Amino acid sequence: MPKITRKTSPYLRRPKANVTRMMRDVFIALLPVTIFAIYKFGMAAVMIILVSILSMMAAEYIYYQIVDKLDDEKFKWKNKSFTLYNFSTITSGLIYALILPDATPWYVVMIGAVFGVVFGKLIFGGIGQNIFNPAALGRVFIIVSFGTLMSFDIDIDAIAQATPLGVLNDDVFNMAVLDSYSIADLFTGMAIPGSIGEMSVILILIGGLYLALRTSFEVRIPIAYIGTVALLAGAVAIFKGISFDYVLFHVFSGGLVFGAIFMATDPITSPITKPGRIYFGFALGFLTFIIRVFGAYPEGVMFAILIMNMFVSSFDYYKWTNSKTTKRAKIIFSIVILVSIIVTLVGVYYVE
Amino acid sequence: MIKKSKRVKDYKLLTKALPTLTYLDPQSVFILLMNNRCKTYDLSIKEGDHVLFGQQIGVRHGGFFEQPIHATVSGTVGVISKKLHRTGRKVDVLEIKNDFLETPHESVFDRPDSVIKELTQTDMVEIIKDKSLVGLGGSGFPTYIKLATKEKINTIVINAIECEPYLSSDYRLILEHPEEVITGLSYIMQALNVNHALIAIKSMKNPLYEVLTQVLNVRFPELNIQVVKLGNYYPQGWEVEMFEQALGIRIPPGELPTKYGVIGFNVSTTVGVFDAIKHNLPVTKRHFTVTGDAIKYPQNIFVRVGTSVNELIELCDGFTDEKSVVMVMGGPMMGTSVTTSDVVVSKTTTSVIILKDVEYVEEQCVRCGSCVYSCPAFLQPVQIMNAVKRNDKDVMKGLRANECIECGLCAYVCTSKIHVTDYVRKAKKLIG
Repeated sequence: MPKITRKTSPYLRRPKANVTRMMRDVFIALLPVTIFAIYKFGMAAVMIILVSILSMMAAEYIYYQIVDKLDDEKFKWKNKSFTLYNFSTITSGLIYALILPDATPWYVVMIGAVFGVVFGKLIFGGIGQNIFNPAALGRVFIIVSFGTLMSFDIDIDAIAQATPLGVLNDDVFNMAVLDSYSIADLFTGMAIPGSIGEMSVILILIGGLYLALRTSFEVRIPIAYIGTVALLAGAVAIFKGISFDYVLFHVFSGGLVFGAIFMATDPITSPITKPGRIYFGFALGFLTFIIRVFGAYPEGVMFAILIMNMFVSSFDYYKWTNSKTTKRAKIIFSIVILVSIIVTLVGVYYVE
Repeated sequence: MIKKSKRVKDYKLLTKALPTLTYLDPQSVFILLMNNRCKTYDLSIKEGDHVLFGQQIGVRHGGFFEQPIHATVSGTVGVISKKLHRTGRKVDVLEIKNDFLETPHESVFDRPDSVIKELTQTDMVEIIKDKSLVGLGGSGFPTYIKLATKEKINTIVINAIECEPYLSSDYRLILEHPEEVITGLSYIMQALNVNHALIAIKSMKNPLYEVLTQVLNVRFPELNIQVVKLGNYYPQGWEVEMFEQALGIRIPPGELPTKYGVIGFNVSTTVGVFDAIKHNLPVTKRHFTVTGDAIKYPQNIFVRVGTSVNELIELCDGFTDEKSVVMVMGGPMMGTSVTTSDVVVSKTTTSVIILKDVEYVEEQCVRCGSCVYSCPAFLQPVQIMNAVKRNDKDVMKGLRANECIECGLCAYVCTSKIHVTDYVRKAKKLIG
């Protein structure tokens, strides 16, 4: 006669659902991009990836040992809070490595990685509690602190976005950029310099397709994100009367697709409802475009992600959050889209 | 796994195809004298008396109604003892020792069809009240109150969906007694003066569709009854979800379906109506499932109300060699767990499920949103959970935690295996 235990309903759980699987899927989806990076940059890429992953894991391990020490717990080599076992730190480290330029010195990689994981994740209480995306935080920290130390062989980011006003206002310069890097090259990543993992749009999309098939990420965010950038770029292209290659150029360059698929979709730092996630993607797209066109830094994607991460809790505020799309929400959202197009066009007009 | 996931692995193959075993003659039956809606009772018999099958032996007092208590066997009245009810409390039960004769009481007789044709709504309500019929799907709500509605009803929907995993008693009931279901339904139609009814089944249950349409076409061609196949997901059997899928009417929370001209009955209740009207019998027997992955031979059993579950487990060859099991009365998503096998089959229990005691390791919530996507009531379980952790009642109210139907889907789909449903339940308790 077995012992009869008391539990509360429900007594069943979905089979094969766990956090490790989700994080591991992101890791697997990143593999094509990683292999391409190593193929293209050789030892430089290997160095960046290894330093990044190892320093994030070491930082996390040491952090938890210190926390245990402060809690007066006995020292154990195997720390139970350490999240190596569920791939989340490895995945963060890999994402962080892939958004770095190939000539970044190893100590800069390490500083950014440690800063990102400690201040982006651990001080909030570890996985599930963080407000900011650790990879984006580490990347932005080193842009701001060590901007001059990071260089590309040919600085496409700088051409594409560092002087965006020039790109926008000077049609000749714009066409020159479009001529020197064909859209096909941008799409495949061949012959285009840039951050080690952000170049090959096709490989990133393959990773995204894998994640979508495994339902390990929210596909609405990247679609809304990239769609918004394309929409705004299209509006500007019509307004200025330039070629629609401008739209593709915006979408395929500057790590937009990578950021949209692997960083904006981090469920921990995105809103919780379906409509909320669409609005989040839209806001990211708007901010990215605004920063690219009017801002001073080239990394529109990273800044947009970090800024929107701060607003996630206001998307989920109980007074207006709703998991259904209501008619009212649709009307307000359409008005917001129209207003954002008008704001962009007015901005472009006056900047001239 | 960020997705809307309403498919619950249903494990029905364990018992679905098995013919129903009959186990109608236990040594003694135990009649529950109290239940979740009735806290006090009066008995009209005493220890040692001889009672007959179907005889009224007392009355339960509920908040706004009374329920007659009936003997489900003929025999000698034993003592009153305490047994665990599925609500988790100990309740008084009366033992009746079976004399294996099933001598019917004089109140039990067959009503001729010609008499039934003349019955009005008031007559039927009176009969069903006397026979203390309640919602047999598990709700236990008195059927006569539903049947006495003054609203104009356009459509009756019979809930034969049985969306909970493991359960197959309704499935067997329809397969083996389709004409009782349909006759019972025709009585309800007559009482409510409705000429249109639907029988809602899951689309995967094709045998039910075949048997019901065949009986309808051959035996009851004059009745305007359709069998509709609804989705295979959980909780399709929730009334609101069923009406929406079958008729396209979404009933807002807190409102009665009768206001919208529809009314729903469980399929076992329909058979209860048949027994009450045709044979003037209270619910004395019911289809029951004993199943789960920790029992040797899962079975469908036709049992007498009041049979001890211990005997039924014995009939299924007992437990497997598990150290620890979970015993559930009702479905594995919404049923209640009991701590002993010394419980009895009541009118409203559909099954006993014995599961292996699996410890689920809870991980940190990664805000994947599966619970929000899947919630059939469009709530945000994870946010309610966080509000409970902060003890923030305004947020719990703002997130409409009181509209939760406790279907358990949020905990089922959780990527981190967190028992979200428990937190929402706590929120419901906190905001009253």
